[in-house]
Amino acid sequence: MRRKSKWLAILLVLGLVLAACGDGEGGETTTTAAGEEETTTTAAPSEETTTTATGAEIATDVGVDLEAGTITVGLLSDLSGPFAPLVTVINTGHDIYWQSVNADGGVNGLQVELEVRDTAYVVDTHVQLYEELKSQVVAFGHSTGSPQTVAINPSLQADGILAIPLTWYSGWSDPAINANLVPHGVPYCIESMNMIEYLTLQAPDATTIAIASSPGDYGEDSNAGAVLAAEALGLEVVYDGTGRINAADEATLAEVASGIAGSGAELVWVTTSPTPFGSIYGQALATGFEALWSGAGPTWNPALVGPDSPIKDALARDFYISQYYAPWAAESEGNAMVRDLVAEFAPDAPPLDYYAEGVIEASILHQALLAAYEAGDMTQAGVLAAAKSLESVTFNGLAPDETYVGEPNDRVQRAQFISRPDPAGLAGGASTGATLIESNYTSPIAEAFEFTEACFKLG
Amino acid sequence: MTPGFVVLAQETPASNEFAQMLVDGISFGAIYALLAMGFVIIFKATSVLNFAHGALTGLGAFLVAAFVTVLDFPGRYLTSLPEWAQWSANAITALLVAALFGALLERVFLRPMVGEALFAVAIVTLGVDIVVRTITNDWMGTQPRPLGAPWGLNTVDLGWVRISWSEIIQIVVTVVLLGLIVLFFRTRTGVAMRATAFDQETARAQGIRVGRVFSLAWAIGAFLAGVAGLFYSIYPRRATGVDQSTAFIAFRAFPAVIIGGLDSLLGAVVGGFAVGLAEAAANAYLKFEVLGSGFPGIVGYLMMMVVLLIRPYGLFGTPEIRRV
Amino acid sequence: MRGRPLLYTSYEADQALLNTTTKRVMLGLFFLVLISIPFQVVPGLKFLGQEDWLRLLTTAAIFVIGALGLNILTGLAGQVSLGHSFFMAIGAYVAVWLGGPEGGPLIGLGLPIWIWLPAAGIIAALVGVAVGPTAVRVRGLYLAIVTLGLVFIGEYIWRNWDSLTGGAQVGRDFPPLQVRLWKEEPPLLDFTTPSTWFGVEFSGAAKAFFLMTVFAAVSALLAKNLQRTRVGRAFMSIRDRDIAAEIMGVNEFAYKLLAFGISSFYAGIAGALLASFVTRVIPERWDLFLSVQFIAIIFIGGAGTVTGTFLGTAFVILLPRIVQNFTLWLQAVATEGEGILAAIADVFVATTPNDFGLVNTFAGVGPGLSVAQLNLVLYGLLIIGFLIFEPFGLYGIWLRIRNYWKGWPFTY
Repeated sequence: MRRKSKWLAILLVLGLVLAACGDGEGGETTTTAAGEEETTTTAAPSEETTTTATGAEIATDVGVDLEAGTITVGLLSDLSGPFAPLVTVINTGHDIYWQSVNADGGVNGLQVELEVRDTAYVVDTHVQLYEELKSQVVAFGHSTGSPQTVAINPSLQADGILAIPLTWYSGWSDPAINANLVPHGVPYCIESMNMIEYLTLQAPDATTIAIASSPGDYGEDSNAGAVLAAEALGLEVVYDGTGRINAADEATLAEVASGIAGSGAELVWVTTSPTPFGSIYGQALATGFEALWSGAGPTWNPALVGPDSPIKDALARDFYISQYYAPWAAESEGNAMVRDLVAEFAPDAPPLDYYAEGVIEASILHQALLAAYEAGDMTQAGVLAAAKSLESVTFNGLAPDETYVGEPNDRVQRAQFISRPDPAGLAGGASTGATLIESNYTSPIAEAFEFTEACFKLG
Repeated sequence: MTPGFVVLAQETPASNEFAQMLVDGISFGAIYALLAMGFVIIFKATSVLNFAHGALTGLGAFLVAAFVTVLDFPGRYLTSLPEWAQWSANAITALLVAALFGALLERVFLRPMVGEALFAVAIVTLGVDIVVRTITNDWMGTQPRPLGAPWGLNTVDLGWVRISWSEIIQIVVTVVLLGLIVLFFRTRTGVAMRATAFDQETARAQGIRVGRVFSLAWAIGAFLAGVAGLFYSIYPRRATGVDQSTAFIAFRAFPAVIIGGLDSLLGAVVGGFAVGLAEAAANAYLKFEVLGSGFPGIVGYLMMMVVLLIRPYGLFGTPEIRRV
Repeated sequence: MRGRPLLYTSYEADQALLNTTTKRVMLGLFFLVLISIPFQVVPGLKFLGQEDWLRLLTTAAIFVIGALGLNILTGLAGQVSLGHSFFMAIGAYVAVWLGGPEGGPLIGLGLPIWIWLPAAGIIAALVGVAVGPTAVRVRGLYLAIVTLGLVFIGEYIWRNWDSLTGGAQVGRDFPPLQVRLWKEEPPLLDFTTPSTWFGVEFSGAAKAFFLMTVFAAVSALLAKNLQRTRVGRAFMSIRDRDIAAEIMGVNEFAYKLLAFGISSFYAGIAGALLASFVTRVIPERWDLFLSVQFIAIIFIGGAGTVTGTFLGTAFVILLPRIVQNFTLWLQAVATEGEGILAAIADVFVATTPNDFGLVNTFAGVGPGLSVAQLNLVLYGLLIIGFLIFEPFGLYGIWLRIRNYWKGWPFTY
C-alpha cells in the first residue's frame, strides 16, 4: 500500500505540473491581436491598424486578427446550472449560425470563432470568466443571468466592451444601465402586459387574477408588469405570491398552489421555471381549480406536455405560451432558415424552439460586426459603437425587428409571439409542443405604456 | 389508466385543515422514513455516515424513469399483464439495479476505508456523492424525466380530506417495506448483519463474511433511497419527474435520522414521520408574513437541535461509551 | 550550528517557527516569487501576472484565510464542522450592514473598512461562540449534522432577509476595498482601480492581490503560532482524547468555545473579503458546496498543518482553471494534431456534437461531461483518492518526498 501510494503521489504531482505547463503558453485555441506574449491587460490593449486584403484600413485591438483572418466572440453561458436546458440549445444556435456564415466566407472574409465558458449561473464564476475572456474576444455574444450581467456591467463600461444579455429584464432598455448592452425581445414586464391582456380576450368575463413568481429580477420584473396590467384592465389581484416560489422547496410550491386554488381567480400569471410550475399547476388542478394560465417565456418547457406527463391534456386546455421568437414549426422565412441550419450543421439535434434564440443573438452581433467593418473600426469600442448605432435589425419573421437608436420609450420591444401547447404534435414529432397563434402581437396596454426606466430596480 | 374516484371538491373548510395536514404530513413523512431507514441500515452495519444518500436517491429515481419510459424492461415481455403491473415490474427492476449500484459503490470506495476514522469515511462519502450526482446529472440531462406513474393525478376525496392515490400508495409501500425489513432481520443474513453491527471483529471471528454484509447493507440502503426518490418525483411532489434537484431531498432527511438516533431503525421511522408532520404543520399553520418563504424546509433541523439538547444521541439512539 | 541543523541549544530555538535554515530560505524565496508575480519577471510563471490569473490567486488567498480557520477547528481541535459557509456569510453581511451605502433601499451605515472588516470577524466569532455549546453536548458525527443544519438555516435567513441581502437571486453590491478615514470621498487607498505607488504603476488586480497576500500571511503566522501556544496544545489534546484532557485539567467547555470562536473569526474575515472582492454576491452563494470546498481543502492539503492548508487551497482553487486549459489543449490536439497523440486526445474530447468523448467543450449539446462537470467529478475523485491513499494530504506527499531525499541514498 505504501509503495503504491508513493508512485500514485508522484504521478499526481507530475500530472499537475504538466497540466499547469500546458496552459498560458498557447493553450488557447484562439489567437489574440495583442501579440504572443502574456502581458497584463490592465492598460488599454495596443491598437493596430492593418490593411486588409481589399486595401481598406481597419483598426483592431482585441479579438480580431486580420492576418490570421479570425474574429473571436465570447459566450458566458450557463451550461450546468438552472438554465442549462435552454442555454445549451441556444449555444447550438450560435454554433450553427456562425458555421453557416463562415462557410459563406465569414464576415467580409474573417472567420468567426466562439469562446464558450460555463458560468453555472454563479456570479463570481461569471465575473472571473469575464475577466478571463475580455482580453481574447471582441464582444460577448451573450451573458446569462441578470445578477451576473449586472455584476459585470461596471467592468463592461470601464473596458468598453459590448455584451448581449441573455435575460429579458426590463432594465436592459434603461439608458441609465445599458450603455454597453444590446437587449432583444420583449422585456418581462411588458410581456406580462401583453399576455394578461390576451387572456382577457379569451375570457372576457374574467375579473380576478392570481399572480406568483420566483424571487429575483425575473419574477419581480414580470409581476410588476402583471400588477400594472391588472390595474389597466380593471382586474382584481386576489392572490399575490410574488417571490414565494422556491424551486428547491416543495412546501412553497404547495403553499402557492393552495393559495392560487383557494383564491378562486379566473386568470393566473406564474413566472418561474418549468419544474416548479408543473408542480403548482398539478396541485391546483387536483383541487378542481379551473382557470386560464400563462407565464413568462422561461416558465414553459415542452416536457410539460410530454407523452408521460400527467398534466399534458389539462395544460393544452388552460395554458397560453409566451415566446420572444417564433416556435420551430412556424411558417416564416426566418424559421425556415433555422430549420435549414439545424438540418445542415446539427442533423442529429432534435427540433426545439431555442435554437432561434441563439440565431437571433448571433444575427445581432453579425450586423454589428459588419457595421464595424464598414466604419473601419473593429476594436472592442468600435464594435460597441456600431451595435449602438444599428437602426434596424430584422430577422425575417423569426422575431420582431429591433432598433438601438432613439428614445427608450420608442425602441423598447413590445411585440412578441403567442402559442398554444400541442401534446399531440410533440408526441408525433410534428411540432416542438407549441403551435403559433399570434405573431408580432402587441397589446393596446403595452402599446400605451410609457417606458422610462426598469419596472423593477435590481439592487 | 385505472379509473379513480375523482370528485372535484369545493374549498376545504377550515375545520378539515387539520385532517388534511395530517394526511400530507404522514405521506411526506413516509418519504423521509424511507430515506432515514436506508441511512440507518447503512450506518448500523458499516458505521458509515452516508453523505452520498442524496446521490443514491437521484440515481434510483433516474433509473426508474429510464426503465419505465425508455427501456421498458421487463415490461415489454409482459404484455399480457395490465399496465400497472408492467410499470411495477419495470420500477422494481430499476430499483434492483440501483441496489446493485449501491453495493458496487461500497466495494470500490468504502472497502479500502474500513478501520479508518469515522469522520474520514464520512468525507469519502461526500466525495462519492459529488461524483455520483454529477455523472447522474450528465446522463439525465437538463430536462426533467417523468416517471409515468400509472395512477397519475387521481385523487380520492373523502369529503373531510383529500388524498391522492400516489400518497396512499406511498404510505402502504413504506409500511410494507418496513415490515419486510423487520422480517429480514430475523433471517440468517439479517442476524449476521445485526451481529456485524454489534461488533465487526467478533462477527468476523464467528465466520460471518463481513464484506458481504457491508455490500448487502448498501444495496438495501440504495434500494430504499431509490423508492424514496421515486415517490418524490411523481405527483404530488413534482409532476414533471426526476431532475437534477431530486438528490437534495436526502439532506432534509438527515434531521429525521438524528432525531431518531443514528443507530436505531425504529428511531429512523419515528423521526421520518415526525419531520414530515412538523413540515406539514408548519406549512399549514405558520404562514406569517414575517417568516418568509421556505420555513417548513428548516423546521426539521430546528426540531433536531431541540431534541439533541435534551437527548444528545437522539430519541432511541444508544449513547456512545467513551473509553479513555 | 552549520552542520547540525537539528541541534537546538535553547527552548526558543526549538520552538521557533522557522527553526531550520532551509525553512527560512524556502519561505523567503516563496515570498519573493509571490511579490514578483504582478511584475512578471520570473520565467515560466509570467502568465500568472495576467489579470484573470491574478484574480484567481487573490481568491485563493482569501480562501486560505477561511481554510486556516477551519483547519484550527477541525484539524487542530478535532471538531467536525460543515457550517463554515454560514460563518462566512455572517461576516459578509455584517460587513455590508456596517459598510454598505447609507440611505439606500437596503440596510447600510456607510462606515469605513477599518470598522467593518474587524467587526465582520468579531461578530462572526461571537456567533461561533454561541454555537459552541452544542459541540460540547453533541459529539463527532452528530456535530457534523448540526453544523450542516446551520448552513440550511443560514440559507433560509439570507434568502428571506431582503433588506440586508438584497433578496434571493438578486443579491447586492458589497463595500469595495477602499480605505477611508471616515465617510469622505475620495478614498485614501484604493485597491480596486489602477494607480501609481512609488513611481510604479499597479493595476487594481495587482493591488488587491498584494492586500490579500498580506492578510493571508498574517493569518498564517497567527495560525502557525497557535499550534505552539498553550491554547494550541489544549486543542490538540482535546482532539486526541478529550476525556483524558479534561482529567488533566483542560477545560473542555472553554476550549471548544474558543476553537469555534477563533475559527469563525477567520471565516467572517474571509467572507467579508470575498464578498468585497467579488463586489456582488447573491444569498445562494453561501451554500453547502462552499463548506464542502473548505473540507476538501483541509483534507487534500493535510489536516492540522498550515503548509497543507496553502497547498490544498492552491490545488482546489486553481484546479478548475487548469482542467479547463488542459481540456482546451486536448481539444486543440485532437482537431489540429496528427498521429497517435491526436487519436488518444480524440477519445477524451468530443470535437463535434456527434463525436464521442469523455468531455465536450464546444458550444452546445452533446455527449460526455461538460468542463464544469469534469471539474466536479475530479474534485470528488480527488477527495476520495487522498483520503484513501494519503490521509495526510498533499503535505503528507511532501513529507514522503522530503524524507526520501533526506535519507538518500539510504532510503530504505
